Amino acid sequence: MENKNPLSPHIQIYRWHISSLVSISHRVTGIINIVAITLICIWASLLILGETNYSFINFFLNSIFGKFIALGLAWSFSFQILSEIRHLMMDMGYGFELQITRITGLAVIFGSILLTILIYLIGRNLI
Amino acid sequence: MNLATKKWIFMKISSVILVPLMLWFIFNFISIYNQNYLEVLSFFTNSANKFLFSFFIVFAYFYSSLSISEVFEDYIQNEKIKNAANKALYIFAIIMPLITIIVIFNLKL
Repeated sequence: MENKNPLSPHIQIYRWHISSLVSISHRVTGIINIVAITLICIWASLLILGETNYSFINFFLNSIFGKFIALGLAWSFSFQILSEIRHLMMDMGYGFELQITRITGLAVIFGSILLTILIYLIGRNLI
Repeated sequence: MNLATKKWIFMKISSVILVPLMLWFIFNFISIYNQNYLEVLSFFTNSANKFLFSFFIVFAYFYSSLSISEVFEDYIQNEKIKNAANKALYIFAIIMPLITIIVIFNLKL
């Protein structure tokens, strides 16, 4: 007989908190990142086809859409890095108090935006 | 030690290694993604970058396959579908970085 019990985490029932938002976003960005890393692997592998075949990719990456993807990727990586550091701190037994989980959750959300800006400015040699 | 504990330990070790590699890659990616062919090629043919990029993709696929299998555990109820999805995921996580590393090490400036 098929098991009709709900699987965890049961996101439709529980009231949303900062922690649940960060947790779900961690999973979503994890999936986005592996799709992005796969595209990066394809991008790096296409270099073997030579300069002529690379011009289309270069045109795409220089478009507004290409810039949006690069910025989106920087944010997704930033979120994953900060969220993973938060998880590692929790694995060591720190930050389980309700107020601290809210603060660290907000730090991950806003910190990822700041880190994205920092990565972009340093990466493009703007600072 | 049961399988879930082993998986958790592997995830934690790989995440500690992955965090600095992700930072290293994203800074470099932002600086080269829209450069011309020779600039991008010189990045991937540099020995240090080649090794770091290879480590980065190996650990990224290793960590992601473990964490995505957790997502399958939470959201796929049918055991057959879950096992098939996990097998496909693990095969993909081995083949993709392997092919990329072979290609990267055959690139010449």
